[in-house]
Amino acid sequence: MRANLPAAADAGARPAHEEDRHTPFLMYRRFFYFKIALAAAVVSIVLYYGYRPRGEPYGGTWVGYLLGTVGALLILWLMWFGYRKRAYAGNQGKLEAWLSAHVYFGLGLLVVATLHTGFHFGWNIHTAAYALMCLVIASGAFGIYCYVHYPPLMTQNRASTTMPQMLARIAVLNDELRAAAMGIDDASARLVTRSIDNTEIGGRTWQQVSGRYPRCATAAALAGIDAIVASGAPERQIGYRRLRVLLDEKAQILGRVRRDISYKAMMDIWLYVHVPLSFALLAALLAHVVSVFVYW
Amino acid sequence: MQVEVTFLTRRGADAIMRKSQTVTADALRFGRGSDNEVQLPDIRVGLHAAVLAEREAGIVVEQSGDLALRINGASAASGTVRSGDRIHLGPYEIVIVDPPQGFDAAITVELLQPLGDAMERLLAQSRIGLVQAGLSRRRWSWALFVLFAALGLALPLAVYPLGHAVKSSNAVPPVDAIDFVNLSWNPGDLSNPHRFFAQNCATCHRGVLAAVPDAACLTCHAGIGSHLAANADLGPARADLAATRCAECHEEHRGIDAMVIRADALCTDCHATLKETAPKADVQDVTRYPQGHPQFRATVVADAAKPSFARMMLGGDPKPVDRSNLVFSHAAHLIPTGFLTPSGHKVMTCADCHVPEPGGMGFLPVTFEGQCHSCHDLKFDADLPWREVPHGDAARVKSAVQDFYARAALEGGVLDPDAPALVRRPVGTPLPAASESERRDALAWAAKRANDAMGIIFDEKRGCAYCHVTDRSNGAFTVAPVVLRARFLPQAQFDHSKHLALDCSQCHDSRHSEKSSDVLLPGIESCVSCHGGERASLKTRSTCTSCHLFHRQEFGPMKTASADK
Repeated sequence: MRANLPAAADAGARPAHEEDRHTPFLMYRRFFYFKIALAAAVVSIVLYYGYRPRGEPYGGTWVGYLLGTVGALLILWLMWFGYRKRAYAGNQGKLEAWLSAHVYFGLGLLVVATLHTGFHFGWNIHTAAYALMCLVIASGAFGIYCYVHYPPLMTQNRASTTMPQMLARIAVLNDELRAAAMGIDDASARLVTRSIDNTEIGGRTWQQVSGRYPRCATAAALAGIDAIVASGAPERQIGYRRLRVLLDEKAQILGRVRRDISYKAMMDIWLYVHVPLSFALLAALLAHVVSVFVYW
Repeated sequence: MQVEVTFLTRRGADAIMRKSQTVTADALRFGRGSDNEVQLPDIRVGLHAAVLAEREAGIVVEQSGDLALRINGASAASGTVRSGDRIHLGPYEIVIVDPPQGFDAAITVELLQPLGDAMERLLAQSRIGLVQAGLSRRRWSWALFVLFAALGLALPLAVYPLGHAVKSSNAVPPVDAIDFVNLSWNPGDLSNPHRFFAQNCATCHRGVLAAVPDAACLTCHAGIGSHLAANADLGPARADLAATRCAECHEEHRGIDAMVIRADALCTDCHATLKETAPKADVQDVTRYPQGHPQFRATVVADAAKPSFARMMLGGDPKPVDRSNLVFSHAAHLIPTGFLTPSGHKVMTCADCHVPEPGGMGFLPVTFEGQCHSCHDLKFDADLPWREVPHGDAARVKSAVQDFYARAALEGGVLDPDAPALVRRPVGTPLPAASESERRDALAWAAKRANDAMGIIFDEKRGCAYCHVTDRSNGAFTVAPVVLRARFLPQAQFDHSKHLALDCSQCHDSRHSEKSSDVLLPGIESCVSCHGGERASLKTRSTCTSCHLFHRQEFGPMKTASADK
């Protein structure tokens, strides 16, 4: 729901609709796709419990075949989203609409497929396909959480700058540090050099995701300079104080940059589970359908 | 010492900018610090990195910081240098050149490795984004797709033609790798009796896109009984049933216990309208249990002589009557306070006569020898209480009695004072030469005594008639044949052993029955008190197969092996 901006926003408080700005895909067209998915789920449940097969509920009763066909087509359509996402020149409908439909129909698939199983599970390719589907949907649900939770945090963290701006500021600070370090002792100079040359931005997966850089050279340089300033030798105070100010600002910006990277990584990492598993599901689904025809 | 220091800056490939200055000092110090004679303003150079001085040997360069010197490419802490020598100090190159007029020495200083663009350097160090960290969605997607397609689809398909079927229950091949691959496609547990060949799919599945044919089931179950009597006229119902596949009622892959479908609808599809489709079958319509199930029809003896039977509805009109030709009163035997018997006072119970058969489903037939003789003897002579007539054959009874008295006459020893002397002679005394009249007397005596005895035996109230329907017309004495039914509901399977917790009298009102023609069966209302329908919530769930069998061995085989469905 897009609320109108209030005439005078409170200083410091985020406008009420800012949260909403980050989740249009959930509320798209007033939950249009949620309603459709809910209706489909309800119809499936009514069909499942309303129809009494002669034997047991099973994937092979006519309700089972219906739910299975709908589920398989749903899976194929859901996977098509990966293609639509990158068809930038496409006229296949708004991406926002596709995403909203993808999320809600994906959740609805859980109901349809579970009823299709008739709650028969075993150590076979059929339950493997179902399990893979559940993992895909679970990772997708985690993705929804990330897409709702992290963008506001990113906006807040960036505080009206952009990533290139922050990186540019760090580069400038590196140059200023180099100049400010002209007159200091060699040991401190080495610390500062290391801070400049080994500015760790991003890196391995765990570092990006966690935002923790235990061997950060800037933090080490800051600690070193602090120790020297604290030791109190007066001839060092002035030169080192400027260094400290520069290093401090660099550390602040680095923190924001790394936090930004971490949020972005969290918004990406679940897709490395969601997409590969969905291809595994595709293969298992193919095996499941073929086996039904082979062993009719 | 006077030294000309020239700073070189290259611009592009060809242009070199030169900036010279004169330095006068005893020694030339090189370093980052501003107090050095030659300041090298780069953080990669130490505060005080090197010293150039004039010695007796000539111009000497010494390292004074931590940063290593390289003189003409070789690492050295110090060295004598002359014109043309190149010294590398960090990113700087210092070349000794010929000093111009008036100078002791001359050097050029050039920054060989400028730092370049800070932003470029920063970006070169950064690895932002998971793709930069080496993760690849595409690689993993392909890997997992290929893995599951290979193991889940390609392998089972490849192995499909190699699966072996189990042809008979005593030729089960050992489980091998192919069977494990087949099992990965098994959608559900096989029923318990079939589990031993769960891995041999070809036992039942005979072709791609082909449902399991009857021929597969008949491999082992060829003799399974039919549901229909062979010669009964059943109209279209027979064709309907013949067109039904075994697998339509027997679903596999539904779990260990779940092979036979027990839903009422499977039966009522035909039995709800059977009276119309097959009127000659004489089967009542059943729509549901219990509401749509007709009252039981007991199969009773209509005429024991033929014998012929009839089905009569319990509680119906005419009242069902079992004409067994036995005269028996349950009430007279089930006296609660008991009565005197030859073996003392006894309170009789149902179990005294009705003995469960092995398995406990029904009861052993009631026989005279087994159940009645212990109280009801067949004496015929008060003087000789141990002599009884044989049971069950009226003609033999007569000859037995006659033979008995004839033998008594021959042997002698009869105590009756009215008997002829010949007959009363002591036993062991040889037969005297008897006169004609004496022999006639003896014969007459034997005949009279036999007649008297037969009179008792065939008495209206005593003798056979005590329990049997007798017939004295046409001069001959006959006992009507007795036909006792063991089962009054032969179309159902009531198992008494499953109902042991009940007392007999809860269903059978025998205590008040005075005639053996009473049919003492409970109606359906007795069952309904505990047995509810298919989906009963507070009663025992019961379906058609709880009481009725589909396959009746007595009807012969249901399908022949040539069935191609």
